Amino acid sequence: MFTNNPFAAVGDLLPMQGYIILMTLAVLVGTVFDMVHKGSGTFFSQRRKRSQAAALRHLGGGETAALALATIAEAAVSGEFCKWPRRISHLLMMYGFLLYLITTVVMVFAYPASAPTPTILSTLWTIGALMILTGGLWFFFFLRVNVAYDGASPFHLGHADLFVGSLIVSVAFALLWHYMQTTVGYTAATWILFGIYIFFTTLLFVSVPWSKFAHMFFKPAVAFQRRVEDASGCSDLPSPSTENYIIRS
Amino acid sequence: MPTYTDMSRCDGCGECVDICPSDIMHIDPVYRRSYNIEPNFCWECYSCVKACPQNAIDVRGYADFAPLGHKVRVLREPEKGVISWKIRYRDGRLKEFAFPIRTTPWGSIKAAQDYGKPDMSALSSQLLAHEPEALHIDALPTIKRA
Repeated sequence: MFTNNPFAAVGDLLPMQGYIILMTLAVLVGTVFDMVHKGSGTFFSQRRKRSQAAALRHLGGGETAALALATIAEAAVSGEFCKWPRRISHLLMMYGFLLYLITTVVMVFAYPASAPTPTILSTLWTIGALMILTGGLWFFFFLRVNVAYDGASPFHLGHADLFVGSLIVSVAFALLWHYMQTTVGYTAATWILFGIYIFFTTLLFVSVPWSKFAHMFFKPAVAFQRRVEDASGCSDLPSPSTENYIIRS
Repeated sequence: MPTYTDMSRCDGCGECVDICPSDIMHIDPVYRRSYNIEPNFCWECYSCVKACPQNAIDVRGYADFAPLGHKVRVLREPEKGVISWKIRYRDGRLKEFAFPIRTTPWGSIKAAQDYGKPDMSALSSQLLAHEPEALHIDALPTIKRA
């Protein structure tokens, strides 16, 4: 199961290279549409201008680069989450998704049907998918805030679940399809599993304007802007207190 | 001044939903971030402001306190036991002040179930629950009759 390239045998049915290019375009168009439709691009550009005008001091290139690095470092460890279970679940999904995505692209573009695929690639692909499933199912059934705090059922499905739901189902069917093609070959059931996998993968990438897929682009941008505002003295937050009022243990 | 959530700061941890005594802090079904579903019913207790670890909950000031175009922001520092406020008026003036909110570390107050079960003799005692140790004194003062 872990050793063969799952995309090697599907080239006749679906040209995977063309499919990946189409999905990349769907994410790009969806993100631009999302920005224009919600006005988030305009909002943040206005906020940037306002904060630049209110800045008490202007930051140099080196300082801005250091803030960008600090933002990347925070995003790399999901430091924005205040609770460790959500942080771990997010890290599993984030790195699992990156691993899964990169190995998919490499296997499809660098190792088409005829070329032998290094075992490490399909192993990493499977590990990435398992990481997404572990973090995703943990989040879906136990950590979703509407489930953990707002009384919703663990099986509740809503608009906010479009991204995580389609990701989990897509990855689950990718693993099932890979398992079936390895164990029983390409039977009708294998092709049905492949069809479901492609349907939910397409849903994941095409639903960008309605899902929170684009958060992976917006969140670091907002975090960086906030750091710049803090450093240039125009943050709207109060100054930290100079006194400590905790006098008893 | 009812509260509202700055969704770009909220990370959807649910602390405000848990603590709101009026049960008006809920989770947005589209963005999965908290929001105040009915500001008219807000008791203005600011429990959610004090509980939010991301400083994501602010208040919308009334016109006589901070006229339109203003901004009220709150910074929570549980490690110092203080909540600080900053008001930016529409003419650009700033006002900042800090309120001490407690003198013991956050999370240090024990819940009732964490104490031992009292025995029946407690019924005839003048002392209230956890007295006098909760008052940080050895014994309650008494009136000495001449």
